[in-house]
Amino acid sequence: MKLSTRGRYGLRALVDLAANAGEDTASLVQTARRQKLSLNYLEQVFASLRRAGIVTSVKGSGGGYALARDMDEITAKEVLEALEGDFAITGHDTGEDTDPVRHAVKHLLWDEINKQVSDLLSDRTIGSLVREYKMM
Amino acid sequence: MRISTKGKYALEVVADLALHSDAKHPESLKNIALRRNLSEKYLERIMKMLKDSGIVRSVRGARGGYCLGRPPETLTAYEILKASEGELAPVECLIRDASCGIACGKCPTQNIWRNMWEVIKEVSGRVTVGDIIRETKRKEGIKTG
Repeated sequence: MKLSTRGRYGLRALVDLAANAGEDTASLVQTARRQKLSLNYLEQVFASLRRAGIVTSVKGSGGGYALARDMDEITAKEVLEALEGDFAITGHDTGEDTDPVRHAVKHLLWDEINKQVSDLLSDRTIGSLVREYKMM
Repeated sequence: MRISTKGKYALEVVADLALHSDAKHPESLKNIALRRNLSEKYLERIMKMLKDSGIVRSVRGARGGYCLGRPPETLTAYEILKASEGELAPVECLIRDASCGIACGKCPTQNIWRNMWEVIKEVSGRVTVGDIIRETKRKEGIKTG
């Protein structure tokens, strides 16, 4: 089970941006440098975050990205969903499968893991991650 | 974040064995493959991993086949997934140096991945094959009325 690099690096870069620019606009150049990520790649990732309404972009010199909302109102869950798509451990359930063993495993294991991971990621906001990061 | 099909099938195969075999009556690979709708070749690969981890054992002979290596109540989903999928860590850097460019002590996200990993380990470590077969029988009971 693996998270994609988009999800991993996107969340990391967003926390870095918020930790350093607060809710002001900042270019991705410094974030790319600090987090050792490619600027080109980050531009693509942030375009997805913009479409999801998590950041806003400002064009021109002095332009860049800013959080679209208060950092305590943006959850890790919505960021990862914007970057990874549906965030479930076993993907979509078609609902057509009636195999009792498969259903039992889904009920006891996958649904429970998905629920707990979802709760965890809904509880963690960008604000809480920023505060934790600044303490490091 | 995904568990591979190998891990999913491994859990189903072990539950199937728990339902259809015991130490005195091993089940043939062919029958398991038929019930689980898997090719025998693919099933053999899964069985090898499960056997190497002691989760199942093979019985030789004309009426040979496979049975559980331990009682179902002592086999957890965690160890079956670990045997078939490897580590369940959502990101590599939790288990080995991933050389991502920044120091782990200054990583804005490592804690959240670790918390996710803990959830996966905790839930899968709690669910046993015994639980899965009880739930399966309950579901079959509902289905057949």
